[in-house]
Amino acid sequence: MTSQYIALPKGVSEKDFDAAIRDFRKILGDASVLTSAEQLAPYIKTMMPVPDADHTPSAALLATTVEQIQKIVAVCNQYKVPIWMISTGKNLGYGSAAPAERGQVVLDLKRMNRILEVDKDLAFALVEPGVTYQQLYDYIKEHKLGLWLSMPAPSAIAGPVGNTLDRGVGYTPYGEHFLFACGMEVVLANGEVLRTGMGSMPNSNTWQVFKWGYGPYLDGIFTQSNYGIVTKFGFWLMPEPPAFKPFVIQYQHEEDIVEIVETIRPLRISGVIPNAVVIAHALYEAPVKAKRSDYVSGPGSIPDEAVYRIMKDHKLGIWNVYAALYGTQEQIDVNWKIVTQAFGQSGKAKILTEQEAADDPAFAYRAKLMRGEMTLTEFSLYNWRGGGGSMWFAPVSQARGSETLKQMALTKQILAKYGLDYSGEFIVGMRDMHHIVDVLYDKTDPEQTKAAYQCFDELLTEFSARGYGTYRVNTAFMDKVAETYGPVQRKVHKTLKKALDPNGIIAPGKSGIR
Amino acid sequence: MKKTKLENWVSGCIFAIFLTISNAWSAQDEKNSQGFAWKDGAEIYAKICAYCHEAHVGPQIRNRELPSEYIRRVVRNGNRAMPAFRPSEVDDESLIKLADFISKKEAQH
Repeated sequence: MTSQYIALPKGVSEKDFDAAIRDFRKILGDASVLTSAEQLAPYIKTMMPVPDADHTPSAALLATTVEQIQKIVAVCNQYKVPIWMISTGKNLGYGSAAPAERGQVVLDLKRMNRILEVDKDLAFALVEPGVTYQQLYDYIKEHKLGLWLSMPAPSAIAGPVGNTLDRGVGYTPYGEHFLFACGMEVVLANGEVLRTGMGSMPNSNTWQVFKWGYGPYLDGIFTQSNYGIVTKFGFWLMPEPPAFKPFVIQYQHEEDIVEIVETIRPLRISGVIPNAVVIAHALYEAPVKAKRSDYVSGPGSIPDEAVYRIMKDHKLGIWNVYAALYGTQEQIDVNWKIVTQAFGQSGKAKILTEQEAADDPAFAYRAKLMRGEMTLTEFSLYNWRGGGGSMWFAPVSQARGSETLKQMALTKQILAKYGLDYSGEFIVGMRDMHHIVDVLYDKTDPEQTKAAYQCFDELLTEFSARGYGTYRVNTAFMDKVAETYGPVQRKVHKTLKKALDPNGIIAPGKSGIR
Repeated sequence: MKKTKLENWVSGCIFAIFLTISNAWSAQDEKNSQGFAWKDGAEIYAKICAYCHEAHVGPQIRNRELPSEYIRRVVRNGNRAMPAFRPSEVDDESLIKLADFISKKEAQH
């Protein structure tokens, strides 16, 4: 018998699923329960090198209130129907809006898009999951609040709740987003509503200003997890500084990255440079200015010779170090002197500011990201290979120069084996580095898609064997990454899951937790 | 000095405005009961599409008289690297307005 659904949740009969869908319709209305292939099409497209069928949802639910979500989890518990939550659904390169497993019901929270509060004096916001950075940016401008956002590169179409819950990062001094989270409202699997930290206390007005509350700190267990459904989220905003000075420092040789990181680390730890410094390889920046097909054709990864021609033609360093200074002009003047002295010592650095580089499209979009302005220019990366294939490979290391060459050499070697290019950058946090590599491939080419899958698998295997953990990964590789963190952590995650969600209805498979 | 009625009225108004403003940014309750809704096709184009299609990331799509039906299909399904957009992001009614905005020549708006 042909099913009326395009997929069914694992282990759920069509009869039970029918009953669940009927109940969902009673809660949300017919128009907010999507089951047809046409309605579900935007929930299926991913950039991962696996068949879309592996991540096809059975339905999507468009909830707008906490009460609706409480009723939805009751239905899910009754029929053992798993749900997969999305907010803006733009976790591109990490799984987009599709669920982790075929047949899961997407709980789409995009229509919960109210900005509940923005406090100008205390510089915080409280928002629902569907609020985009663009929406919040416009609100702050309209009300002249003088606050800056920090957001990832898909800025305008992504949002603070989903990004922070997946422990994403941005490029301002508030760029380590979860550090600046303060208070959540969470619908638990049993339908209870938890407000974390000070939010648990009736009549408290400190929910968005004091993170810790009393007793064990709980917010962390609702990030990269499946222990609850976050319906409200508080976070801190950066007061607009009186002055802002973005800059780029270019280097000409790959081995210079050792010196770059050794120079940056003390400046980051002491706070002279307050934002996460991005050390972008020429091939990460090239797509903003150049076409791959103008330099290389046929299969295989791009040769170094072509990379050097791109650098010359488009005024790029092999490494392009982006950072900024923030504060009063006097503060910036003092720190600029420290920065230029530090980078000027070896004579290898070419330092450019807005004065020299304002018209450069790569500099312009990086400067926007560092001041929380909307831009999607980084999506130029997707034109490099074309065909819509992308996975972010994101291992973490110590912020030491010696780590960079090892990581880059290993990454390039594995990518080259599969005919893929090194589109990489290092983001220097306070003491760590995220090595971010966009594994780009043509998803319309079955051979390249297969190679990309094998390449990513090998990257994870080889990096974890050397003790480099991945901080975030797409939904096709979550189990593999969870495995690299060892059995004890997995067991603790599972124990928490059993306690909080005994029927396993909330996003089973997220971060390898079931 | 005794205040006139007009002065009292003005200061009362200012106080009322002050209360409105301060309440708007300080109360913990959910005052903004209405969620976000798109105004028109031009707004959606400016706040989503233009970041790629006017920035040399995606192809030019305006002033090409692309069929409205084609635009709607690409928005819902995505196209290669272009992400798909769900009805929860751009509702069906707004999508019709957006497709209309893109497909018509600028002079027709």
